[in-house]
Amino acid sequence: MQVLKDVSLAVPKGEIVSLIGANAAGKTSMMNAISSLVPISDGEVLLEGKRIDPLPSHEIVELGIIQVPEGRRVFPYMTVKENLLMGSYNRRAREKNHESLKRVYDLFPRLAEREDQLGESMSGGEQQMLAVGRGLMAVPRIMMLDEPSLGLAPIIVEMIFRVLQQVNRQGITILLVEQNVKESLDIAARGYVLENGRIVLEGPGKDLLQNAHLKKAYLGM
Amino acid sequence: MRFLKGNSFLLFLVFLAILVSVVQNAFVLHLLIMVFTSIALGLAWNIIGGYGGQLSFGHAAFYGIGAYTSTLLFVHFGVTPWLGMIAGGFLAVVASLILGLPCFRLRGTYFTLATIAFAEVLRILTVYFKELTGGSIGIVLQFKAGFGNLMFRNREPFAYIALGLMALVYYLSIWMENSRLGYYLTALKENEDGARALGINTYQSKLIALMISAFLTALIGSFFAQYLTFIEPESEFSLGLSIAISLPVMIGGIGTAIGPVIGAFLITPLQELLRVYISGEYQGLQSIIYGIILVVVVISIPQGIHKWATGILWGKSKS
Amino acid sequence: MLIIIGQSLISGILMGGIYALVSIGLTLIFGVMNVVNFAHGEFLMIAMYLTFWAFHYFQIDPYVSLLIVTPALFLIGVITQRYLIQYLIQAEHYTQIFATVGMSTVMANAALFFWKADYRMVKTPYMSSTLNFSDLVFSYPRLISFFVAIAITILLFLFLKHTYLGRAIRATAQDNIGAKLMGVNINRVYILTFGLGSACVGVAGALLMPIYYAFPTVGLHFVLTAFVVVVLGGMGNITGALFGGLVIGVVEAFSGFFISPELKEAVYFVIFVLVLLVKPAGLFGLTKG
Repeated sequence: MQVLKDVSLAVPKGEIVSLIGANAAGKTSMMNAISSLVPISDGEVLLEGKRIDPLPSHEIVELGIIQVPEGRRVFPYMTVKENLLMGSYNRRAREKNHESLKRVYDLFPRLAEREDQLGESMSGGEQQMLAVGRGLMAVPRIMMLDEPSLGLAPIIVEMIFRVLQQVNRQGITILLVEQNVKESLDIAARGYVLENGRIVLEGPGKDLLQNAHLKKAYLGM
Repeated sequence: MRFLKGNSFLLFLVFLAILVSVVQNAFVLHLLIMVFTSIALGLAWNIIGGYGGQLSFGHAAFYGIGAYTSTLLFVHFGVTPWLGMIAGGFLAVVASLILGLPCFRLRGTYFTLATIAFAEVLRILTVYFKELTGGSIGIVLQFKAGFGNLMFRNREPFAYIALGLMALVYYLSIWMENSRLGYYLTALKENEDGARALGINTYQSKLIALMISAFLTALIGSFFAQYLTFIEPESEFSLGLSIAISLPVMIGGIGTAIGPVIGAFLITPLQELLRVYISGEYQGLQSIIYGIILVVVVISIPQGIHKWATGILWGKSKS
Repeated sequence: MLIIIGQSLISGILMGGIYALVSIGLTLIFGVMNVVNFAHGEFLMIAMYLTFWAFHYFQIDPYVSLLIVTPALFLIGVITQRYLIQYLIQAEHYTQIFATVGMSTVMANAALFFWKADYRMVKTPYMSSTLNFSDLVFSYPRLISFFVAIAITILLFLFLKHTYLGRAIRATAQDNIGAKLMGVNINRVYILTFGLGSACVGVAGALLMPIYYAFPTVGLHFVLTAFVVVVLGGMGNITGALFGGLVIGVVEAFSGFFISPELKEAVYFVIFVLVLLVKPAGLFGLTKG
């Protein structure tokens, strides 16, 4: 079934780009298409001008395009540490795994405390921290996050978004896909709105927040 | 495909009956008997396996119970196999309850594994109680021609009886498809929890279907024992037999009445021909070929030939 | 009496180690690839024959030919996965059962065709040696086989726990999409897993030759036992398979002695069904050890 009909977006290096959309708008499909988890029937995905859509998923990861999936998908029967180590599975990341681990523990002290705890026994917020941490372990050039705020308390969402801004300042490009409009457009340099498989709005994050249609449809104003 | 059922099939049966009366070649008659029996077994299995979606790989248990019950009654007490069959059928029903009552709580593969264990236990017990069953040596039935003994010098009567059994199971299947039990089974096969939410007693439906299936399978087991005049635990209770019972259904199309018919007509002659022409010094070769064909067909046409063929002829059907 | 119980217990545990090894391969394959492999026993059979010939033609001791047979089985596993099993990964379990039973038929009958039905035995000089400890008798070959089986299990466990590849295998078993997102090449993992599972069975085959005999259908007995162990231990659970194997070994030994040798299989099939009914996830639950 074709979900995405007319989507064109660009993620400039070093920036945070937000993609907003309601449920079933096609956000996850787009992420999965980029990660090569699903095939693309028409269209291209380009990294720095070169086509990457024909590549298999593990090569996309080797290129540094890392997805933090919807629902976290932490490995339930692996410990926090093992989950993080899985994050650094790709060749580029493996040699750096010690420093990466330290960096993740600095960003998320809670994970260090629960190092030996099994993935499934963690709370939603902790799992999200773990998922983001795992993404960082992969030494990403681009990190794509699929609805990281889903089901989390606002204070945790705030914390995670702060971490995202922090790692972005350190050079990681971020594509943030969200239903949480305000928070994600606040930190985004650029935003896109996806409705029924089509991009209907785009522009700088701040401008979108002032947009009348958006305010009515997504912010309930 | 409704027109294929009912009248068309009756015509087909008449055609087969005429075929049997015309054919003189003993080997061809044997092939026909094998095909009819395969179809009957497949259809019987289909009742619980295809319509009910509960895949049993232990049906040899019911087959063996039928074979051994009627044979033991025949050999030790002179009971006519026509009655012995019914006795075997009832014992098989009891066995099916022993299997089904606890095990229908299991889902999917776990149920299947339980059925395999069930048949194996029966096989082991049969070998163990040697004085009763003759152990692994088996039992040879003394040939005494006569309708009452279900033994004939000529293969033709066997073929008619096999055809009769096949027709019986076929029409029972059709009747069941359209009965309330059939609807319940279709519902629970699709979505068991959903069916239960609708108030269907899925447990009871599965049990009834299994009992019918067991009874019919046992009948055929008895019949075949009379045809071969030899039974042994290895042949009557093995996993290989259970697989062979469900194979034509798998190949032809699970859950349809016509599936086992197609499957058996394709597979059984092949099996027999391989056995007759390649056996002997090339011991094992026919099974190798058979196994290769099985693997290839199962992997390439997992939905069964019926659905595959209708898919090609009539385009994708809405399921 | 106590001695007899003790002897049965020992005998059961020693044999159980081998059952465990056979089952570990099966449970690994099931846990990672979700494939029900009824041809697993035939890999054991092949390993036993290879061990036999190594001894028969080259006088290589089974415990040494382990080093050849194991990689050989790994390779055979890889090839089988690449050309057959990979098509079954997405298939329904019943399709897998039909297909793998078909494979098992081909392999067992090929063995029958090429190598005939005779029982093959390996007669090593230490075959009948025993270790005597107070009144208990330990058969040397069984003892060695047991310890090697345990050692291999521990090695496998360490591999899965502490290496990147091992973790990748576990990750694939737990969430194969998550694993893909980590950069794991799932197809390679499947190939590796099936190879490993076959290699385990290969080791078991070599270990069995000094204490058992090879014949074309030897696989069938062991595969059914392996399924019982796998369900007992929890499908996909390696530690479960280890303990399950030991338990079944002991149950078999005890029922062989206290009930009847001919009924011992029936006993553990009954236990099998009971476990399925009471705790289908196995005695050790769902954790992927």
